[in-house]
Amino acid sequence: MSCDVTKNDFARMIAGAAAAIRAQHTMLSELDCASGDGDHGATMLRAVEKLEKAFAPGGSDDLKTCLREAGWSVLGVDGGASSSLLGVFFGGMADAAATDLAAMFEAGLAALRKQTKAQPGDKTMVDALVPAILAMRAADDGGKSLRETLHDAAAAAHTGAEATRHLTARYGRAKFLGEKTRGHLDPGAASVSLMFAGFYQGLSHSKGESGNA
Amino acid sequence: MKMKKFINQPENIVAELLEGFALSHPQQIRLVGNNLVARAAPKAKGKVGVVTLGGSGHEPGLSGFVGEGMLDVSVPGEIFAAPGAPRCLEAIRLADYGAGVLFIVLNHAGDVLSANLTMEMAKREGLNVKMTLTHEDISGGTNPEDRRGLVGFLPVYKVAGAAAEEGQPLDACFEIAERMGRNMRTLAVAVQTATHPSTGHAIFELGDDEMEIGMGQHGEAGTGRMKLKSADETAEIMLEMLLKDLEVKAGEELLVVINGAGATTLMELFILFRRVDQILKARGIKLARAKVGEFITTQEQAGFQLMIARMDQVLLRLWDAPSNAPYFVVR
Repeated sequence: MSCDVTKNDFARMIAGAAAAIRAQHTMLSELDCASGDGDHGATMLRAVEKLEKAFAPGGSDDLKTCLREAGWSVLGVDGGASSSLLGVFFGGMADAAATDLAAMFEAGLAALRKQTKAQPGDKTMVDALVPAILAMRAADDGGKSLRETLHDAAAAAHTGAEATRHLTARYGRAKFLGEKTRGHLDPGAASVSLMFAGFYQGLSHSKGESGNA
Repeated sequence: MKMKKFINQPENIVAELLEGFALSHPQQIRLVGNNLVARAAPKAKGKVGVVTLGGSGHEPGLSGFVGEGMLDVSVPGEIFAAPGAPRCLEAIRLADYGAGVLFIVLNHAGDVLSANLTMEMAKREGLNVKMTLTHEDISGGTNPEDRRGLVGFLPVYKVAGAAAEEGQPLDACFEIAERMGRNMRTLAVAVQTATHPSTGHAIFELGDDEMEIGMGQHGEAGTGRMKLKSADETAEIMLEMLLKDLEVKAGEELLVVINGAGATTLMELFILFRRVDQILKARGIKLARAKVGEFITTQEQAGFQLMIARMDQVLLRLWDAPSNAPYFVVR
């Protein structure tokens, strides 16, 4: 069986991701100082605010409509490649043929990968995103619950992001720094890891009652 | 060291700088829609529109070149960050006067990504748009995809903008822009870092006695970090690399642009230019046109970009054509 995801589930996941980015945006900008221009945290903050708005009460009840709106508004963040890729990712989810979580995330990833040549190992957000979505698919196919699936995805995103410390940047602005980027966590991968941790946290908190057991 | 800049709230920098830019040039430009910089008076119907995009914090680049004879609309992004596709699409719709739009994009990851998305959306809407990419920074290596777009945008805006103003069709404007792009080469050197105006952080580190040849617009590392050299020595190293890459031969005609990065004075730029001219004369290369000043800056970064471009009679005529763009007036 596969876990279908509703608009309400997604809104809670987005709220969790926004909380995670909000708590860590200063750290993200500091990471970006090592290889970029130090504004990654601010960009991510603007991006998650747009995501929250697209899923705010009073909007459409249709998940795909919300995702399209979210993708378009994140594209409009004007924060360079990070926000464009995130916008493509969320907007792309709306094109999924199925309504289960893994299928939607896979559609988002496919849309993103049409726009960037970055591969796993190039020290970009792709290094966290690809393993997270593979884990999601495995959990989904294994019949795990939505919450367990998000747990596995968050763990895989974290491992993928941490592994970027040992990589040399070959894409994006940081590629011009080459070997100098070794030892630093990639800010894009760190953001993805935080968002997936937030998706899990957000869904675990069931409407503010039972907490994240 | 604490940042010393005359700003207000960091999140308002872009909006406030655009407001001031528009208010100070009411005859030439105005802000329209979602902070797009457009001409005060739109071009006549039936002519090709010319649009560009790019991050802010590089003034007068890129919006300073909107005006009759150059750009129709510029899409400014956040500080050092590309604008997203939605505003670029809005700009292209605005610049479509019935003869199509030329979209000039500098090769930087974020700009290219937004531009590609914009092109997909524009095609879906049935808009007639052609995109040209500038990538003339030779420090990127031999693969054109790895070469960034630096001050070479200036001649491309100028000649393509002039061609559009003459009423040339989109295909012809595109060909002119591509030819200008193929004919040009740039190298940048940095001697002092800049602070990011929103974060207050230095965008790169460079020792007190060092310079780096090949550094990008935002402190993207180059390959040639070395001890600081004199103006003559620096000009010689950089010009030799450029002439070799472009395979310039005696008797050819060049346009030379020296662009100050923000903190390097005109005094220094003229001293550098003097040496460039001496070398060209010694090699029998003709200096057809020259432009020395600040066209794209990076805050208080010190350093400069040296650009050379092979010119022909058509490109020279278009370079000399009138323009009323606030930062490139030709009468």
